Amino acid sequence: MRPAVLLLVIAACGSSDDSFVEFTDTGGTLAIEGCGYSITTRLGAEPPRPAIVVTGDDPTPRLVHLGLVGDPRTSIVAQWRTVDEETRTTTIRYAEGEGLPASALTKTASGIEFRYLSTGGELYRMHQAHVCDLTAGTTYSYQVGSEGHFSPVYTFHTAPDVVAHPDAEVVLGFVGDSRGGFDVWEQLVGQLVQRAPDVMLFSGDAVIVGISQPEWEEFLGRGEALFSSVPVVLTNGNHENNAVNYYAQFAMPGDQENFGFDYGFAHLTVANDTPEDPAALTLANADALRADFEASKAARWKMLMHHQPMWSAGTRHGSNLTVRDSWGPIVDAYHLDLVLNGHEHHYEVTKPLFDGAVQTTTDNATVYVVAGGAGADLYDSGTGFWTQYSETSHSAATIRVRRDSLVLDSFHPDGTPISTGFSKTKL
Amino acid sequence: MTRAAIALIALVALVAPARADDADRAFRDAQQRAIANDPGAVDAFEALGATRPVTAWTDDAWSEAARLAERAGQLDRARRDLEQVIALGTDPQLVRRARGALARLAASTGAGAWDAIAAEHERLVAQLGAGDPKLVLAQLEALVRANPRYPRANLARLAIAAGWEREDERDRALGWYEEAAALEPGRHAWLEWLRALVRAGHLARAEREITRLEHAPETDRASLVEIRRTLDRAELRAWIRRALWGVLSVLAVLAVLVLRRDAGSWRSAARRLVRPPLEVLYLVPIAGVLVAVAHTGNPLVAAAVRAIAIAGVLVAWISGAMLDAVAAPRARRVLLQASLAVVAVVAATYLAVDHDRMIELVLETWHEGPATR
Repeated sequence: MRPAVLLLVIAACGSSDDSFVEFTDTGGTLAIEGCGYSITTRLGAEPPRPAIVVTGDDPTPRLVHLGLVGDPRTSIVAQWRTVDEETRTTTIRYAEGEGLPASALTKTASGIEFRYLSTGGELYRMHQAHVCDLTAGTTYSYQVGSEGHFSPVYTFHTAPDVVAHPDAEVVLGFVGDSRGGFDVWEQLVGQLVQRAPDVMLFSGDAVIVGISQPEWEEFLGRGEALFSSVPVVLTNGNHENNAVNYYAQFAMPGDQENFGFDYGFAHLTVANDTPEDPAALTLANADALRADFEASKAARWKMLMHHQPMWSAGTRHGSNLTVRDSWGPIVDAYHLDLVLNGHEHHYEVTKPLFDGAVQTTTDNATVYVVAGGAGADLYDSGTGFWTQYSETSHSAATIRVRRDSLVLDSFHPDGTPISTGFSKTKL
Repeated sequence: MTRAAIALIALVALVAPARADDADRAFRDAQQRAIANDPGAVDAFEALGATRPVTAWTDDAWSEAARLAERAGQLDRARRDLEQVIALGTDPQLVRRARGALARLAASTGAGAWDAIAAEHERLVAQLGAGDPKLVLAQLEALVRANPRYPRANLARLAIAAGWEREDERDRALGWYEEAAALEPGRHAWLEWLRALVRAGHLARAEREITRLEHAPETDRASLVEIRRTLDRAELRAWIRRALWGVLSVLAVLAVLVLRRDAGSWRSAARRLVRPPLEVLYLVPIAGVLVAVAHTGNPLVAAAVRAIAIAGVLVAWISGAMLDAVAAPRARRVLLQASLAVVAVVAATYLAVDHDRMIELVLETWHEGPATR
């Protein structure tokens, strides 16, 4: 045997050893090169690691969905799973432009992968490709997978640079509580696709049981037409219940529980009102909320998304008084414009509220919206002194944010609009 | 470069930002009018969109005009404005949204043939939450009956069905669900019908329908699995309800017969039942306080507490009357009667909690711990 061939054989044996990694559920952190941030996996998942070239029986990518971790003007995260659980190759091909053919996707990046443990001892593998060299306000085409097994070509759009483009409009899609009603969820996804949001906000309870992977596959599968082109940001609901499946499948900023980010003229804060340690609700998470509000107090439009509403006349759960007592004064102190919730399976918009009282204008007051009707069985809506409008129906919403205006429009799964939304201007 | 060319560039450099500033101002003014629900806002946006030269605000103005026109039910005008966004748009997201909005309008109005019906449909749906729902539902029914080929007629049928269900007219609701389901076997409308059948307690019918289409290729299997689970749960609960009503009926009959025997006559038994026993006099104020407190919180819990309190008072009343009818009851009799009273209260408690699906809330609390309130 020639020495070169021998070296190749040894190298091949070496890479074969690399491909086998015994599963450890300790979680871990990996710095993402070129992005300036790191990814942390939780207990129940492996530490994330750079992908290597290993393909299993069927490396076809599926459940492709986008996420945000870094600056949404210049970065995106593509996430997917493959039909088999052995493939470790994690490649994204992309290029600037809309609807490009696969041959025109000239840039390539390799990502990271890790496995997580779910119900019944099953191991699932997650692939993430982080791209951080993008241009603001630009449309890109991309596909993910491995050589010979790439996904269809999808598109995404980066957040605008509002200094250069003061006319920029961003649309945030908003919905929550799809659990157990995936046919309704699919209808709403169709409606949302036609409204082309820039980011999807999901206020929790995507599934009934957070550790049930088949439910997540249903949620993501039926949402793929939307999530493959629009990054999704979620908050933990009582049904996700901080499951490893939830944190493993959705890359989000910071600790994935309490974080904030700017998108266009909006600043969105996300908070976990169902933390693993219940005491954190009024302590660490309240502090995180205050810190993010303080850091973003110059933002033009300020919004908060969490699961359990501080103000709801819903007949099932109603207002969460602990959250209201702890977080309400912080929301008031920083004059948030809008608070987005789910948990109650109905639609409700409050009057402008400040310090627990209805205000005559929205100027320094906050409006709370519950849109927990993405498919779950509906609960009867009620009315309280704070209720501007409520109805028992499945629904989703879009929030159009411009420099001087914020407009919330809501609609049913059949596309018919809900009469009462919310709008506000700042001049 | 000639002096004239330099002067021209300088002029453009001065004028262009001025025009952009003007457009910015005009956009803000139109926005203010839109927020104030001024119908002239659409005109203002369209005027800005038509102003030349094109600025960064041109496509935004057409986009806003289209949105407001659609909301006002002026769908043809909205279509024309959206075409302007596509023709002049410099923001690819605005253009994409305009295309999506055109596709959405085409799906609901068949490229304009159903504009008036679509606008009326949306107007009525919007009124459902505000005006007299029964009147609006009747108008929606008339709209669907008169326009069965309207592209969103089946979606309107589902909205009508859901509306009647909320008004507690279940048979009328089921009729509309069934009509919609017949046009979408195995798909969304059919699944909604199955859910409604389960909610209305028509479990055998739901079972038959599931069996009929379970293996049909068009059936949405994942949703069907969820509905099957709901149906199985509903069947189990229906069985438990029937069994508990049976237990309560037997206990009631037994109590009356024993009271008649111990009191000596029907008349004497009735007299004993009219006069509240001592334990009832103690229990009623406590029950009253519990009911009052419960009514300050969750309405589902309040209704259940009220039902349980009434059942508890009734059981205590009958049980007390029975004990009063015996001069010196033996310990074994007292123990047996107390045990049966507990069984009756437990049965009544289950029936109260099972009502209005409050049992789901109880089970959720059981599985996941109490929600912080």
